[in-house]
Amino acid sequence: MQGTPGGGTRPGPSPVDRRTLLVFSFILAAALGQMNFTGDQVLRVPAKDEKQLSLLGDLEGLKPQKVDFWRGPARLSLPVDMRVPFSELKDIKAYLESHGLAYSIMIKDIQVLLDEEREAMAKSRRLERSTNSFSYSSYHTLEEIYSWIDNFVMEHSDIVSKIQIGNSFENQATPVLKFSTGGSRHPAIWIDTGIHSREWITHATGIWTANKIVSDYGKDRVLTDILNAMDIFIELVTNPDGFAFTHSMNRLWRKNKSIRPGIFCIGVDLNRNWKSGFGGNGSNSNPCSETYHGPSPQSEPEVAAIVNFITAHGNFKALISIHSYSQMLMYPYGRSLEPVSNQRELYDLAKDAVEALYKVHGIEYIFGSLSTTLYVASGITVDWAYDSGIKYAFSFELRDTGQYGFLLPATQIIPTAQETWMALRTIMEHTLNHPY
Amino acid sequence: MQPRRQRLPAPWSGPRGPRPTALLLALLLLLAPVVAPAGSGGPDDPGQPQDAGVPRRLLQQAARAALHFFNFRSGSPSALRVLAEVQEGRAWMNPKEGCKVHVVFSTERYNPESLLQEREGRLGKCSARVFFKNQKPRPTINVTCTRLIEKKKRQQEDYLLYKQMKQLKNPLEIVSIPDNHGHIDPSLRPIWDLAFLGSSYVMWEMTTQVSHYYLAQLTSVRQWKTNDDTIDFDYTVLLHELSTQEIIPCRIHLVWYPGKPLKVKYHCQELQTPEEASGTEEGSAVVPTELSNF
Repeated sequence: MQGTPGGGTRPGPSPVDRRTLLVFSFILAAALGQMNFTGDQVLRVPAKDEKQLSLLGDLEGLKPQKVDFWRGPARLSLPVDMRVPFSELKDIKAYLESHGLAYSIMIKDIQVLLDEEREAMAKSRRLERSTNSFSYSSYHTLEEIYSWIDNFVMEHSDIVSKIQIGNSFENQATPVLKFSTGGSRHPAIWIDTGIHSREWITHATGIWTANKIVSDYGKDRVLTDILNAMDIFIELVTNPDGFAFTHSMNRLWRKNKSIRPGIFCIGVDLNRNWKSGFGGNGSNSNPCSETYHGPSPQSEPEVAAIVNFITAHGNFKALISIHSYSQMLMYPYGRSLEPVSNQRELYDLAKDAVEALYKVHGIEYIFGSLSTTLYVASGITVDWAYDSGIKYAFSFELRDTGQYGFLLPATQIIPTAQETWMALRTIMEHTLNHPY
Repeated sequence: MQPRRQRLPAPWSGPRGPRPTALLLALLLLLAPVVAPAGSGGPDDPGQPQDAGVPRRLLQQAARAALHFFNFRSGSPSALRVLAEVQEGRAWMNPKEGCKVHVVFSTERYNPESLLQEREGRLGKCSARVFFKNQKPRPTINVTCTRLIEKKKRQQEDYLLYKQMKQLKNPLEIVSIPDNHGHIDPSLRPIWDLAFLGSSYVMWEMTTQVSHYYLAQLTSVRQWKTNDDTIDFDYTVLLHELSTQEIIPCRIHLVWYPGKPLKVKYHCQELQTPEEASGTEEGSAVVPTELSNF
């Protein structure tokens, strides 16, 4: 596992007394140089007169160096502090005693002290910066999610990395998690959550799923096979501006936050902005509408970033876009009732996925093409993906069926994520077993 | 229980192949009756996948409209029901008149807190005739349902709710129900149930064959003192319309007494056009903050 112990990069804490500063510089040295100070002691020697001061000065000049002065001989009024390596302790103490230099032991074993300090620092760091203390059964803010992403990548850097694919309209980063066991340009699977910001259950499910992938790799045969041959990409907050807005001002905001001159309503429906049947039925040219498709295909930076990334990669084999609510699993097309060429295969796969989902908690999903199951919608993600050659393109609508709708209680996060995982796994397994 | 699946054969099941990309509405305007028995799918599906979403969606639409109407008519916040499953139905479509639907469906008690455990053995069955008048709202509904709760128990629960409402201290300092994390405080459930009851009326009146509504959130509540012991309150709800994804704020005024028919008046905000829009950030999801007289 890569990764460095991060202690050395922290600024020195207060109280800033010299001993503490020196101790911390030792921690730095220890961290970087992996030095060991077991048994080393720090002795304090008050010099009674000029002669004693001079004697201590002689120690300083010894080559090879036998003591390391933390507070060197300077003036009579100031005591001298010296670090004495374990191997030199006997000799140095004999020297001091033979010259009548009284000393006291400030630190009996430096290593013990260093270990204690390091432990304390790590502990306080752990509280803020560990994915272990992150609650998977709560909803989080944008900052919390971004912080979790950084920790997650750091903790699982053997198979996870973070890729920046672009920026939102308000210039937020749009990071993507990449799960890979190596190789160059493995066939890949794309998952996005949060393209509609009010669908909070989707981000929460995505986060749990990311953690599930790293937990199950090496344990679940199916997932291990998938990851050994393919890469998985997850964009957790596909619409960060909208998401921040659902926390700050309007919990039911759906679109992004793009602003255009002369247009008084804000935002484009990111799931109508794709270049596939753009502007058709099931999207709206009224900027005030929740399904406003935007001025042109891919006009929105959040969408353009994904299009550019997937196109440049060139080897995506499956795309799964996660929404809520309605409890549905759907495949293209949304823009028309025309069936896709592999409709039978997608129907069967959706059926299997939904059955796998049902087995977890008994939740029933309906499935079919988007236009026949939910409604006609144009310019949507999965239609674009399919038209771009990604044969396995699916859209989820997670829990529930309207009792809570977008305001799904946090107590349902983990059950939802658990059942959704089984459906995702089914789709990914099929993709693995049907290369093209 | 089998997962829900495509049970309804397509009305025009013929040779496979690309279908004309017509407007969904245009497709609905067929003269031929559409017979769609729900049970024909079975565990072994017929040979080809069915493009049966159109009649199935219409049946669900009709079932939901019927339920809104049923809930409103029952006048009982303790006897609210939600759709469990559409079981069978047929539709007749006439370009001049509109769309007639006969649908049979199962329901369960509306109780957002309970998840799956209560479902077994608590299914009521309803049969409804719903007439959508050519894209107009306020479908005509004829619905009967089997009893889900004993009448006496329902009356007791209504009365309990009534007393809880009467004991609330005004002005109610409520921001939203549920809160943004989906939680409804148990002490606020009576308010929510009554709001759901009143909203059922609104949702029924607004439903068309393509629009259907859910109650997303309650954003303000105010209870008025009355001379005659009725519950009288004003509230603001946000309705979610599925096909357009719009959030529609509505102000609702409701008067209720257990056992008596519900009285509802409401006003819902229209979708803003670009010309009408003001410079506010919230766009079409603005909730008016003051309650004025209707």
